[in-house]
Parts: sequence; C-alpha cells; structure tokens
Amino acid sequence: MNGWTAAGTALLVCGALPAGWGVATGPVRRRVVAQNAMTTLLSLVFLLLAQGFVRTAYQDTALVLAVLGPAGTLLYVRLLADRLAAGPPLSRPLSAVTPLNYVAVAVVVVPLAVVTDPGRALVKLLVIGVLLVLGSGVAGRAVAVAVDAGHGPRGHI
Amino acid sequence: MSELPVLLGLLFVAVAATATVLVRDPVRQSFLLSVLGLALALLFLLLHAPDVALSQLAVGSALTPLMVLLSVRKVRRRARDERREEQA
Repeated sequence: MNGWTAAGTALLVCGALPAGWGVATGPVRRRVVAQNAMTTLLSLVFLLLAQGFVRTAYQDTALVLAVLGPAGTLLYVRLLADRLAAGPPLSRPLSAVTPLNYVAVAVVVVPLAVVTDPGRALVKLLVIGVLLVLGSGVAGRAVAVAVDAGHGPRGHI
Repeated sequence: MSELPVLLGLLFVAVAATATVLVRDPVRQSFLLSVLGLALALLFLLLHAPDVALSQLAVGSALTPLMVLLSVRKVRRRARDERREEQA
C-alpha cells in the first residue's frame, strides 16, 4: 500500500462513508445534498486509487462518476421536488457542503496534476476535476432552488 | 495492511446491502440502492475490475433510482386517481 492508496482509503473513511451515512438516514433534503457530496468524494477516491495502483485507465471510472453523479442528484431533485419544497430552508451546514466539495476537489486534483507527466493523462485528470466542480455546483444549485421553491425568493448557494 | 482497502470495501457493501433490505419505504430504499451501487463500484475497482465497475456505476448511480422513483410516482398517481373515482 503506497501513499496514494492510503490517501484514497483515508478519504473514503473520512469523507465518502460519512456522506453515505448522510444519504442513508435523515430527511430527504439532507439525503440529496449528501448524495451529491458522496459521488464527488468517491470520484476523488477513484482518482487517488488509480494513481496508487499506477493504472491511468482506472481514471475512467472517476470520469463516468463525475458525469453520472450530478445526473443522479438532478434526478432526485426533479422527482422529489414536492418533498424538497415542503420543509424549512436549507440549514447552514447543508449549504456549506457544496463549497466543501470544491475544496476537496482542489486538494486532491492539484497534487495529482503535479505528479502526472504532461500528456493525455494530465488532460484527462484536469477534465475530470473541472467536471467534478461543475457537476457539484450545478447539482448544489438545483437543490437550493428546489428547496427555496416553497419559500419565495432567497439567496442561493 | 495492503488488504485494508478491500476489507473496507467489503464491509461497506455488506452494510449498504443489509440496510437496503431492511428499509421498507421505496423512496428511502432508492437512496440506499444508489449507495449500494457506488459501494459495489468501489469494491470492483479495488479488486482490479474497472470494466465491471464502469457498468455498475452506469446502472447503480442513476438508472436504478430512476426506475424506482418513476414506479413509485406512477403507483401513487394511480392510487390517487382511483380514490378520486370512488369519491365521485
């Protein structure tokens, strides 16, 4: 087990598993936000594991998850819109999840980009990073809009 | 020590699968199903089967919850319509 695999395992234990707990329990709004966080963090875990196993092809799983994760979150937002709009506005910890996702992406992707040789793998890594940030932002904003639908205009995430 | 990630992945899958079976509400179950799909994808990647992980991701993270939620929606709508017809 090298440092990258250890970092991936640590991110799994400290980030993705608590997010998974958030998806499995609690009110619908928290589940949707946690689902967004979990797919982002798990995609980062995949990136770290790909580097740890020295198999750049494993980055494909992170790429697919970076595309499908936000799609899943948007799906929940669309199909559970009535439940999301029914409760109170998003609490402060839940609004902080999307910025935390950005921080996590930067913390993982930047060191990986530094150690990756310039070329196709680096481009792919950067594309995955941009997709993760965009996907997390779009999904987080969609959740905020859906929750606010029951409360009139308010500042969004 | 090198087996730790695989053991964690196995544990994650076991917990997620058990929780999915134990939860009775279909909407909550759809969330747990997506967690289970992600856990399985992680386990496949840890066992060096990225192709299986890719297909698991495609099915587990978006398609299965979509099917479950659409079915719940359709069943609820039909139940509501039938109730309305009985009242009329």
